[in-house]
Amino acid sequence: MHLRKPSITEWLITLPSLIWLFILFLIPTLIVFAIAFKPPDPWGGIGSGWTLDTLRSLANPNYPPIVYRTIGLSIGTTVICLSLALPTGYAIARAPAKWRRILLLLIVIPFWTSFLIRIFAWKVLLHPDGHLKQFLVFLRLADEQSMLLYRPEAVLLVMVYTLLPFAVLPLYAASEKFDFRLLEAARDLGATPWRAFREVFIPGVRRGLLTAVLMVFIPALGSYIIPDLVGGPRSEMVGNKIAQRTFVDRNLPHASALSAGLTLAVMAPMLVVLMLQGRRRDALET
Amino acid sequence: MFRYVAALFMVAGLLTGCGERKPVLHVYNWADYMKPSLVRQFEEEFNCRVVIDTFDSNEAMYARLRAGASGYDVIFPSTYMVQIMQEQGMLQPLNPDLIPNTAHLDPAYQEMAADADCTHAVPYMISNAGLAYRADSVEDVKPSWAMLDRTDLRGRMTMLDDMRETIGAALKYLGYSLNTRNVEELEEARDVVIRWKRNLAKFENEQYKNGIASGEFLLVHGYNGDIMQVMEENEHVVYIVPEEGVSIALDEMVIPVDARQVELAHAFINFLHRPEVAAENTEYVFFLCPNAAAYELIDDELLNDPSINLEPEILARSEVIEDLGEDNRLYTAVWDEIKAAR
Repeated sequence: MHLRKPSITEWLITLPSLIWLFILFLIPTLIVFAIAFKPPDPWGGIGSGWTLDTLRSLANPNYPPIVYRTIGLSIGTTVICLSLALPTGYAIARAPAKWRRILLLLIVIPFWTSFLIRIFAWKVLLHPDGHLKQFLVFLRLADEQSMLLYRPEAVLLVMVYTLLPFAVLPLYAASEKFDFRLLEAARDLGATPWRAFREVFIPGVRRGLLTAVLMVFIPALGSYIIPDLVGGPRSEMVGNKIAQRTFVDRNLPHASALSAGLTLAVMAPMLVVLMLQGRRRDALET
Repeated sequence: MFRYVAALFMVAGLLTGCGERKPVLHVYNWADYMKPSLVRQFEEEFNCRVVIDTFDSNEAMYARLRAGASGYDVIFPSTYMVQIMQEQGMLQPLNPDLIPNTAHLDPAYQEMAADADCTHAVPYMISNAGLAYRADSVEDVKPSWAMLDRTDLRGRMTMLDDMRETIGAALKYLGYSLNTRNVEELEEARDVVIRWKRNLAKFENEQYKNGIASGEFLLVHGYNGDIMQVMEENEHVVYIVPEEGVSIALDEMVIPVDARQVELAHAFINFLHRPEVAAENTEYVFFLCPNAAAYELIDDELLNDPSINLEPEILARSEVIEDLGEDNRLYTAVWDEIKAAR
């Protein structure tokens, strides 16, 4: 397979989106990276000259717990979302066509309500005097004093809730294209249903899985509003620290350095995925 | 962009002014911080139009001005932000002859202002940050910051997500100045906040109002006017001023260097300090306008409310948060440790 040289028309069609990305994504990102090397002034502005002090101050011993928590919560969210979305995508793809549409609609319906309102709904659900709490107390799973909100577990729960559709949709799309006769073939050759699912279905929807990982992990890393609203004093994530540096500490270079770090952290999984997909393409070509 | 908007307003003014062009005063203020009918009264009396734009934090307002927003005639920053803006040469000197009503200012509060002689800023309203609790669920209440040590309220209390307010509360609890630059005092305060943090549901700046109203939180650290607005609707909520002293915030009125309606801006500041106007405004927003002549006109119950008008001995132990310039870093470092602590 040889790549054709793109024609002028193709260039012209791509140009608007390239310009869009260049002006609204690439340039601002580079500015953020540049500000990270500028000194702050005590009035919230950006000083003149260049410095590496801000980068050095990232060695602050208070950061590692926040970074670990951010990565841990993001990985946790991704793993839970994928393990819920994989059977869901499979089930929707195998459902009769009439049902399939309704199920997909049910996945999308929550988006009709504002994201913020849905988070506030969780605050009502998990209210310390709410029905859920009383039910848990009744089941002796919680006592009167225990808190459902304002802890890292609450952040994890709401992140999974928020990001789950972003895992279900690509997995459904991949499952829909999957040839389910392969599963039957595997069964005919003696595989147990679980083994067929694991060794035939999962590799078959690999691309969907990779997309789902990116769609969940990246927004999870940059979470700010969820830990802010349902998190407690021990649920701070990198996003919250960036907000604090910007608004409270009036230290834009420090906020920029943290943002730049987050951008790099987000790019790493994307590069891995690109490499994995590239290797697969090479393998197909040879 | 803002010039553009201002130009649009001018065109709109031309179109609706029936041939007569009324001057437009552009005001940049906190939300819900002025009785609307008073603005109408000013417009009629001075034959002008007032356009009010709002901000939700000093930092947001400052960032917007630094980014080039212009065309405001009167701005309402807090004391520490007045200091920063003054140092940055963003304010113009006030003409005392145009604001004779500053004579009514309450000297007790005037000392706390960024500029005691009103050369570039005039105080507008006073607030303080104390504690509020649910009278239906909390017993044995003492007016003290020590309430935050109550383990029976664990997980149902909040403190402000604001390093100066929250570290300041601990400094007051320990009997130190909340503007201290002494590292040892700050470390002591840090340990107190970390101890309190174990009892907190979260650090919270906005949702504490809903939280205390719904009973989600039983004790919150917040601003008196905000809590009093909740108290209007919920009889179970009570505000207390900790006896160790509190932080007092003073919002002031300033005229930026690039103001267009300088005379009208002076007239507006002077208008808001007319005793009858100041009294009416205070009764509407539940914050105190430090205008001694207005006190006689304010409803006694409101004026003597110790959460609005602090008792003299508590007032003596209270302070206004000052900008510490370079030394803000000391607070940032302590705040980072507090946030990271387990």
